[in-house]
Amino acid sequence: MIVVAIDIGGTFTDLVGFDDRTKRFVEAKSLTTPHELTQGVLDCIRKSGLQAPAIDELIHGSTIAINTLIERKGAKTGLVVTSGTRDVYIVGRGNRPEAYNLFFHRHRPLVPRHLTREVEERLLSSGEIFRPLNKASVTEACRVLAAEGVEAVAVCLLHSYADPTHERIAGAMIGEALPHAYLSLSHDILREYREFERLSTTVVNAYIGPKVGGYVRELKSRLGETGFGGELSIMRSNGGVMTPEVATARPVAMMESGPVGGIIASARVGEKLGLGNVISFDMGGTTAKTSLVRDGEPTLAPGYYVGGYASGHPVMLPMIDVVEVGAGGGSIAWIDEVGALKIGPHSAGADPGPICYRGGGTEPTITDANVVLGALDPRNFLGGEIVLDAEGARAGIERKIAKPLGLDAVAAARAILQIAIAKMALAVREVSVEKGYDPRDFALVASGGAGPLHVCAIARELHIPKVIVPLFPSHFSALGMLLADERHDFIRTFYCDLASLDFKALAAVYEEMAGEARKSLRHARNAQWQIALDLRYVGQEFTLSVPVTRQAIEKGDRKKIRAAFDALYEHRYAHQSPDEPVEMVNIRLAAIGQRPRLRFPTLARRTAKPARHRDVYLGEAAKPLSCPIYQRGELGSGARINGPALIEEHGTTTVLFAQDRCTVAPSGELIIAVGGA
Amino acid sequence: MAIVRHPEVRAKRASKDERPRRRSKSASPLSKISRLGTSRRAPRGAGKKQTLDPVTLEVIRNALPAIANEMAADLQRTSYNMMIYEVRDFCTSLVNTKGELVSQNVGGVSHFVADLGVIVTDAMKRYGADGFKEGDVIITNHQAVAGQHLNNIVIYMPYFHRGKLLMFVMVRAHWIDVGGMSTGFGAGPSVADPWLEGLQLDQLKIYEGGRLNETLYRVLKDNIRFPESSLGDMKSQMAACRLALRRLSELFDKYGSNTILAAIERIFDETERKCRNVVQKLEDGVYEAASFIDHDGVKRDERVPIHAKVTIDRGSMTIDLSGCSGERKAAINSRTYAAARVAYKALTGPLEPVNEGSFRALNVIIPEGNVMMARYPAPMAGWSVIVPTVVDTIVKALARAMTDRVPAGHHGLLGGSIVFFGLHPKSKRRFVVQSIEGGGWGGRPAEDGESATVSVCQGDVRNASIEGIELKCPVVVERRALRTDSGGAGKHRGGLGLDTSVRNLVEGRWNFDHPRREHCPPWGLWGGKPGTHGDFLLRLPGENDFRSMEAPHYPVPVQSEVIVRTGGGGGWGDPLDREPALVRDDVIEELVSGGVAEEVYGVVLRDDLTLDEAETERRRNALRSTAKREEIDGSRRRKP
Repeated sequence: MIVVAIDIGGTFTDLVGFDDRTKRFVEAKSLTTPHELTQGVLDCIRKSGLQAPAIDELIHGSTIAINTLIERKGAKTGLVVTSGTRDVYIVGRGNRPEAYNLFFHRHRPLVPRHLTREVEERLLSSGEIFRPLNKASVTEACRVLAAEGVEAVAVCLLHSYADPTHERIAGAMIGEALPHAYLSLSHDILREYREFERLSTTVVNAYIGPKVGGYVRELKSRLGETGFGGELSIMRSNGGVMTPEVATARPVAMMESGPVGGIIASARVGEKLGLGNVISFDMGGTTAKTSLVRDGEPTLAPGYYVGGYASGHPVMLPMIDVVEVGAGGGSIAWIDEVGALKIGPHSAGADPGPICYRGGGTEPTITDANVVLGALDPRNFLGGEIVLDAEGARAGIERKIAKPLGLDAVAAARAILQIAIAKMALAVREVSVEKGYDPRDFALVASGGAGPLHVCAIARELHIPKVIVPLFPSHFSALGMLLADERHDFIRTFYCDLASLDFKALAAVYEEMAGEARKSLRHARNAQWQIALDLRYVGQEFTLSVPVTRQAIEKGDRKKIRAAFDALYEHRYAHQSPDEPVEMVNIRLAAIGQRPRLRFPTLARRTAKPARHRDVYLGEAAKPLSCPIYQRGELGSGARINGPALIEEHGTTTVLFAQDRCTVAPSGELIIAVGGA
Repeated sequence: MAIVRHPEVRAKRASKDERPRRRSKSASPLSKISRLGTSRRAPRGAGKKQTLDPVTLEVIRNALPAIANEMAADLQRTSYNMMIYEVRDFCTSLVNTKGELVSQNVGGVSHFVADLGVIVTDAMKRYGADGFKEGDVIITNHQAVAGQHLNNIVIYMPYFHRGKLLMFVMVRAHWIDVGGMSTGFGAGPSVADPWLEGLQLDQLKIYEGGRLNETLYRVLKDNIRFPESSLGDMKSQMAACRLALRRLSELFDKYGSNTILAAIERIFDETERKCRNVVQKLEDGVYEAASFIDHDGVKRDERVPIHAKVTIDRGSMTIDLSGCSGERKAAINSRTYAAARVAYKALTGPLEPVNEGSFRALNVIIPEGNVMMARYPAPMAGWSVIVPTVVDTIVKALARAMTDRVPAGHHGLLGGSIVFFGLHPKSKRRFVVQSIEGGGWGGRPAEDGESATVSVCQGDVRNASIEGIELKCPVVVERRALRTDSGGAGKHRGGLGLDTSVRNLVEGRWNFDHPRREHCPPWGLWGGKPGTHGDFLLRLPGENDFRSMEAPHYPVPVQSEVIVRTGGGGGWGDPLDREPALVRDDVIEELVSGGVAEEVYGVVLRDDLTLDEAETERRRNALRSTAKREEIDGSRRRKP
């Protein structure tokens, strides 16, 4: 079986393929072609040397959904809402997260007010009809939207999460009146209360729907033309994949799939090495991203804001919880008006890039600091594709950082790295310590071009004893897609006291959700059903998702559910109130269709021999150390390398400090015992 | 008149021309100064400079606000009342033993900025530096020091490093009830004194050395209406404090107290310098503006004057609020620097973290007996309602000095609030519907104002979702709609206010706390027109018309309808200078009516809403000449 993953990123399109029979990996990289994304995918396949007809499964991740929204290049979209709620979308929650900013901005609606039409109807929160649906008002809304020539319509009626009948009828009428318009009904996207967030999610889906749907269809048909007859899957924000059909109906689900691949890969690599608890750390050119995996499961956030919390668009669909900080290889170091050294958030990006890239960059970056300290070899960067300008990097740091601070260039470069490391350590803390997890119980998995360079320093900062540098660290996202399962998340608001919870009714709702899930799953093979109840103490607003079994629902095991909630609460917030009443807000279901686990080859045993030595400034040392340099490709299973040392490979370098001890796993990963952690 | 200046103008180390300049009048009674917070410190000498490596400094700089923010996130997620989890009516802070603010959370209610220092200076005086033990938890809301309504309960704990008291970790949060008349957002303006308002707690140790004071706990429990909610919130406040103690220990163990304390001083200095740099660019001079609130809620035939005098002098700013009303018999009094500080922060460094340095280059003058420096036991139940308008007035005073940084007036309402409560006849449970509805913000130097957003004193304060309200409470929110034409006309239009209509399905009581800005609506700037004011409207079943209401705890029968109306923002610049295409867009969007487009903006549209350019030009010329005539007639009103 040949499985291939293709990940379109901002700069590069990455391909990683694996042939199950020959146990051979294939990699390819091509430049992303923003106007011809489909062509980019086909080019990448051609470049890899794979024959399209031979590919059994192709998993694809793309930035098209998020870019369509951020660049505001979506469809002309109409919105249909309950009478009296035309402005819910504009008003949102009325908040100003930037509390002192007189020039704050709210989200910029994707649908103008004149394309937002009210229909006469009203439900109560129980689902009971307060005012029946006036079909004439729907017809009138259709007339206006058709006359305006909208290409997509979102429908969000109040309390449709409780009973979607009105929304369905309105939807059917709109479908008939505007047969070519892309249609999104809020209860199909998200059956959860809070009208603004549900509405925004539905609008985003409609807004990007025509373009993303068209893209998925085109990709499928053009792959077909090349002879590809296998299964095409699309990567989604929740860490799973979905069929092209689901992606076409719910393109909003692929919005944040970009950073997800690396996290899935971290989970799988950890699992393979017998480590359920890992923290993924991915450091690229502009940012560093980190996420926590517990017992092999990435943590999910219930929603997110595209464009940031202060003025972004809420999308309330589960997404792998990622904390991102503006510290990548290209992040610029600068001195602020009062003389403090700062890193980022501005990045030199790929163009002009760090000073050492010779692309005209004049601002010192993290990469330049690594060159000055000797961690990056100017003559062996990206396999020697470009020769880095070490002198330029040193002069830049000297002029912009060292002189103003009264330091020498090496001390300044070291300060740049230390501040960057402290920043990234704060991000790792945010996903672990702040959620009640001790990072010392986790292994840190490093990826991205700059991840392995800094990972041991970050681990030491947080007393994390173990670091993993996986195979293909600079193609890690695509590797993760190769390993991702199919996954569909469902939610239903089901509001009641836990004490009076009607388990029969809950079981019926669960069955309905499961039915929907079965329709979405491509294969029921080894399907896993994860159920959780969103619970809180009566009077609170925020809930905790408490995993439960189907049996617990069927048996109505109130006590067990209650105890699980109290325990989870204790873990998260370090206190609990077992005597307080608890209420239930939502039921969640994740349907996971497991894809067959790929069995990667093992390496032959071989001891490590350094290729050469180089002077490198490591840590606090005032003088450079002569470090042995190893080539990753030449390392065999069981090889041991003691720091200080560098391990170079195409696209990245792993830095080991004096007390770090590295062993190569049979499957090829570098397992590092962090000294002094 | 005792003038209390806060804080002192401070010396900057290297620069001669910025030595402390003391006024002869500044010799105010020491007791009053310390009561208000920051004690006077000797100017720092040049020889005291600490060598701190830039890395450690940066790490500590990032770590301190992270602690306050983590406290806030925890509190919000575990709290039991919407005033905390949605209105974010709380602050979390680290304060040193001198009462200086080390760090504070960002995002929530802005008028809590740096206001916990006074509590610490008072506590240090009362208990003495040796009067605290590990495991102490202090609770306070007493107005003589805290100067806010009693619902704002401060819980704090001392932080010791190697046996030495270094800091206090503090959480102020709005409890849903503290007895008396305090239920909900707080007691109304008619509450005559603090005893009527609720329970007064004056710097009491609810835990001493880790041991609960059972007596005090029972007094609390028996004298508040929703003990499970409020004591639940107390638990959350304590948990947030404990979290901060853990984080501080990690930080101090790693870097040592000398380094961290030196870093904190350095951070204060740098923050001060950044603020000075902004003010330094402004032209020295005295800037003034005035406004008013229609009445104080008790004495209805008298305006509450607001006046701000801002003096810019080589990087220092003095905000003098002496011209504001004296203390009132109505509960709109406070003891707070919030108005001056919120305005200063917004103009000098809105996105930077807050610490003591943020306000060192700011002088605030508020005489004792002023409505914002009221003396105990003046009633303070509605302590913050005038603050947004005061902030706006200070900002307006600076319009000439900062032409590119000052927007027109905003709705200025803390409320626009829905408060409807009662007993559900079926479940027999008490319910409270609460939501804060936003209003319009003023037009800006480069763009229109935002619509339907909370006031300048509220940051990440969210309205309650319609579905969320209806899940919990027996009401139907029929409408949440922008008010066409409510935004002041201008080259850059003011944002729109909101109408939120609520129909009650069971009987209950409404709080109609009128915004009182009818006669001083959100002002325009540079020729922009004012926005419209807010209101509360009630229609009882069987009635045809809505009528304006002002009454606390007003009982209404089933199927009454209430419209909670918020004001629009003022316009910026002459409406006749607005791009006709933008006016046309506003008409299409129904933000502006065709009539106003023509009469105020001078923009004439055809029936199909296309722009009639020739007619527009004629119309605008006519309006301009009328305006000119009026200006000559009315003469010499100074802008803005």
